[in-house]
Amino acid sequence: MTTLKVDNLHVSVAGKEILKGLDFIDNTGEVHAIMGPNGTGKSTLSQTIMGHPAYQVTQGNIYMDGQNLAEMSVDARARAGLFLAMQYPSEIQGVTNSEFMRAAINARRPEDDQISVMSFIEKLDEKREFLAMTEEMAERYLNEGFSGGEKKRNEILQMMMIQPQIAILDEIDSGLDIDALKVVSRGVNSMRSNEFGALMITHYQRLLDYIVPDFVHVMMDGKIVKTGDANLAKKLEAEGYAGLRDELGLDVHLTDEETNSYFVED
Amino acid sequence: MVDNIAIASLPLPEFAKVRYSGWQLDELTPATENTKTTYFLKNTISGIEVSGQSTTYQQLSENMIAQGVIVMGMKQAQMVYGPLVNKLIGSVISKRADRLSAQNYEQFNTGIFVYIPDQVKFDDVLHLTLNHLAMSGQDFVARIFVCVGAHAKVTILQEMHTIGSEKTKASVVIEVLANVGAQVTYANIDSLGEQTTAFINREVLVKDHATVDWQNAEFNDGNVVMRVASQLNGEGATSHANVIGLTIKKQTQGLVTTVLNKGRHTVGHIFQRGVILNRSTLVFNGIGQIIKGAKGSDAQQESRVLMLSRRARGDANPLLLIDENDVTAGHAASVGRVDDEQMYYLMSRGISERVARKLVIRGFMGEVLMKMPTRAAQQKVMSEIERNLQYEDD
Repeated sequence: MTTLKVDNLHVSVAGKEILKGLDFIDNTGEVHAIMGPNGTGKSTLSQTIMGHPAYQVTQGNIYMDGQNLAEMSVDARARAGLFLAMQYPSEIQGVTNSEFMRAAINARRPEDDQISVMSFIEKLDEKREFLAMTEEMAERYLNEGFSGGEKKRNEILQMMMIQPQIAILDEIDSGLDIDALKVVSRGVNSMRSNEFGALMITHYQRLLDYIVPDFVHVMMDGKIVKTGDANLAKKLEAEGYAGLRDELGLDVHLTDEETNSYFVED
Repeated sequence: MVDNIAIASLPLPEFAKVRYSGWQLDELTPATENTKTTYFLKNTISGIEVSGQSTTYQQLSENMIAQGVIVMGMKQAQMVYGPLVNKLIGSVISKRADRLSAQNYEQFNTGIFVYIPDQVKFDDVLHLTLNHLAMSGQDFVARIFVCVGAHAKVTILQEMHTIGSEKTKASVVIEVLANVGAQVTYANIDSLGEQTTAFINREVLVKDHATVDWQNAEFNDGNVVMRVASQLNGEGATSHANVIGLTIKKQTQGLVTTVLNKGRHTVGHIFQRGVILNRSTLVFNGIGQIIKGAKGSDAQQESRVLMLSRRARGDANPLLLIDENDVTAGHAASVGRVDDEQMYYLMSRGISERVARKLVIRGFMGEVLMKMPTRAAQQKVMSEIERNLQYEDD
């Protein structure tokens, strides 16, 4: 079993504190969802775990099975079993999708035991077909000219190829139509096992109809304010974040409160 | 005979911010080497390979032959089609354009001649390969002329190589004439050797409604000044001039890309990307010029340079010269570092910093790389980048 443990995490971006003492544990075999209103620090959490240089940990720690991530570079974290499906993946011309994935897989293997071209292609074909992606996509340049939906699918394809222990899915549902959402969900569900844990970050309950989480956490103002099971998400859908905030008696200003638009697509 | 005094009185071609007068490119002894070896082209490829004085490969597709396409070594063309060849040479780059081009005109003794009749279309890529044989220590003086007929549609891939390692000079002048409505993609991979100091001048004359796109990859290892120019003479003529370059060790590559908008509604875009390593120097000069009367024309340019060493020198100098009001124009230039977001993305998949860097650098030049007309040419550009980046840690 692998455990991702976030312990009293405080994070600042450009001098402004975004995460204000966040605690959280995700074990392999579990699927967690983190929900919360806009501007509450959900993406900050995912980028900080992965090690984006713009996010500065000012207090607290993140551990993967006792290894302190603070001492590990981004690529070392990935090789330790972490994966982040990004909200805005980079585009890189001149580097093909399949070359990129092969480099990612080989980075995890010793120099004298690189994946053979045949087994790589077999694996790629299998996962690609599972996600209803065309053969041509593998030979296209990395995310270059991909639609929003294609980029999300491509993130999931990479996850299925790399087979991480813990995957963070940052708004993997944004910009997807219902058919694409089903395909992407099927990909994530196919990974579910005792060797795989996921942390899904989302605004919407809809995703959780397709990938049913074991735990739902609600984040407000840089902290987790409530944890429950899948029913908590349904309750949120009905009552909104303001309702939960008032129930918990929190003194938190929600970014979009004035417009009453917590569930508007971005 | 060579009129040395007249040539010596002409100015050297201008490459701003590149000091190259000491390279003595105006003192050439044309080499006379022959060979029977074919170096790069293989059967089924359509095209020609000229190595030194010798034509070492020559093959056209049946489709090209049926449509009357002529591709031959320059010496042979001068014998077979003398009047035509002599009329065309010097019609795009004038015999007295500058000291080095004039000298090339007087002294060239090898090269390639291509004549594509009106209306000709072919889907396969025409390969023109020029090999400088640097065994005797004498210099390479070559001329290429490509005449593309009206409404013809063709793709050309030109490569230049040095064979041998003697210290030599090279002067190569390439003229392209694109007649009315022609559509030409002209890709170049220049990979002259470390001991070859070169002057390369390529220019196209674009007539009414013709389009000529340059895709240039400069991977020479020695000191080189290279000019690529498009004269948009006709109404609605269009040219995209894309150039990538990479410099290593102590070399200097000075590049000038020029688009001259003369006709109305002409479109000229310059796009340059360079990567600079070690103690090398890479200078990009972009010149967009719109003359008075070229109404409705568009001149854009973008030049970006990546500096991978503190001891490297890089320059991106955009110049817009506009004498007409009814036009659109713009430029962007930057000297920068490796894209951090791309690095983060690649490393988040477990790829090491070292490998990620190579991929990001390749991506920086990807826009031109992906426009190379064949898979093999793309592969060649990739491996040239790879080969050069091994010097990164030096």
